[in-house]
Amino acid sequence: MVDVTWGGARVSAQDATERAKALNKLRLGDVIFHAVTRSAALLVLLLLGGVMVALFLGSLPALTTFGFDFVTTQSWNPVTEKFGALAPIYGTLITSFIAMLIAVPFGLLIAMFLTELCPMWLRRPIGIAIELLAGIPSIIYGIWGLFVLAPFLQQYVQPALIATFGNVPLLSSLFAGPPYGIGVLTASLILAIMVLPFVTSISRDVFDAVPPVLKEAAYGLGCSTWEVMRYVVLPYTRVGVIGGVMLGLGRALGETMAVTFVIGNAHKISSSLLAPGTTISATIANEFTEAVGDLYTSSLIALGLILFVITFIVLAIARYMLLRIEKRVG
Amino acid sequence: MSIATAIPATIPAAVTGHPPVDPSALRDKVAIRNLEFFYGQSKALKGITLPLYENKVTAFIGPSGCGKSTLLRVLNRMYDLYPNQHAEGQVQFDGINIVEPGLDLNLLRARIGMVFQKPTPFPMSIYENIAFGIRLYEKLSKRDLDQRVEQSLRRAALWDEVKDKLNANGLSLSGGQQQRLCIARTVAVRPEVILFDEPCSALDPISTAKIEELIFELKEDYTIVIVTHNMQQAARVSDYTAFMYLGELVEFGPTDKIFTSPTDRRTQDYITGRFG
Repeated sequence: MVDVTWGGARVSAQDATERAKALNKLRLGDVIFHAVTRSAALLVLLLLGGVMVALFLGSLPALTTFGFDFVTTQSWNPVTEKFGALAPIYGTLITSFIAMLIAVPFGLLIAMFLTELCPMWLRRPIGIAIELLAGIPSIIYGIWGLFVLAPFLQQYVQPALIATFGNVPLLSSLFAGPPYGIGVLTASLILAIMVLPFVTSISRDVFDAVPPVLKEAAYGLGCSTWEVMRYVVLPYTRVGVIGGVMLGLGRALGETMAVTFVIGNAHKISSSLLAPGTTISATIANEFTEAVGDLYTSSLIALGLILFVITFIVLAIARYMLLRIEKRVG
Repeated sequence: MSIATAIPATIPAAVTGHPPVDPSALRDKVAIRNLEFFYGQSKALKGITLPLYENKVTAFIGPSGCGKSTLLRVLNRMYDLYPNQHAEGQVQFDGINIVEPGLDLNLLRARIGMVFQKPTPFPMSIYENIAFGIRLYEKLSKRDLDQRVEQSLRRAALWDEVKDKLNANGLSLSGGQQQRLCIARTVAVRPEVILFDEPCSALDPISTAKIEELIFELKEDYTIVIVTHNMQQAARVSDYTAFMYLGELVEFGPTDKIFTSPTDRRTQDYITGRFG
């Protein structure tokens, strides 16, 4: 080995080999580190792929038996082994939609109040309350929904809704039928309450991250707080806000326990929001233990696959919207 | 040294008690009297008394923490956004005392515009950045609005650079262009006073020169106040200079006098670079 010049001094060949040896040891550590991190990351892909394959294989019998009818018919009859998933799909989408319709404006308003208008001493209590709301297990929401919210709605709110909208065309069919207490509307309300903390806390965090000088500049033009929030803060933070909304939507779509308690679990699509219905996750949770026969089980797994696909589509749409917004702005 | 002796004789009698030299040339747009400012308990401004002359550029200079930015933020009540900050005393602006409670802050801020240290374009197109402020207070037809936007951009010497991309995002402009966009935005609302808070500290020398030129032109129509760390800049753009130190107004007078023959020792030390 040739001697190497090192900082002007000659380093003997022996020193150089020692150094190379030490470096080699380090390099080995690096290789191991690289391999471990890579395999950990690949594991995620593998898991996701595994879940997808398992879902697909499990639902294959149902899908081959019913074909496309599985997602377009709504009869769900374990006795005759005739299964159509339209009712739970509809229930999942409609409850999530109504939940977001309620939770997003409320969440944004709360976040605006917390970041801009709330006096200092009130900020912490409200902030903590919202975080606690997010931490309540869904089974508790379910119990509360069944024993407190549903009777309350049945006694006071639903009769009022029926009376108010009974004669309004279009709306009358939305609020028709006897007030059961449980049903699509109740499930949507519970979902809205469960989603609210997500939308609120993420919006609050992104609002807080707006540079103060930008807000000052808007105030400096003579904007009111509402104008600052509407025209400067919201556009500035829309990516984060949409992220929060999507996270909330993801939770609403997949929420199982609380919905199962209050939705009524009826496999039919009613035009009325007061009628009982079902969702994909509620159906699976309710029926998996009693599913006898391969086709029944397979149909439930197929429901799971559909939920998976819906969630995937929601995420894809969110990404696409963000991309379009970026492009328009950029 | 008391403030009264530091103020030159050109100030109107209302402030100093001396007869004004040329009363037609100078008019107080804003008159600050015995202004005190508090961050919680600590006093950041101590008995400031100072006129801001119409159609003149007044520079606030002084070492960091001397209260010059604080003073600027009193003039449009920006401090109101934050709890535990309050001002006492008088800031007369067209017969109203700015620091009094119950004032319509939005209106005040429309009349006293502000340009910030860092360019702050809003997250919208160049056109909208300008039109946004106008729409807050005026209902204009599309044509009039277009005209006003163009006018404002021309006023800020930005029109030629952006006229072909008015729909591009304001953030796509360079730093110097963004700052001129902010000036155009401020001008578009037609304020009477414009406050500049170190408007060039984030800009390169060429952009700085452009902004300074702009300030010089703008004083024809507006009363201008500029806070700056850069003493050459104060000397270049301002007609009057106020030197502040530790929350006090040490000396106020015509800029050339402050820079050539300051009466206070501290002013002299600061402008010759002995501290600060």
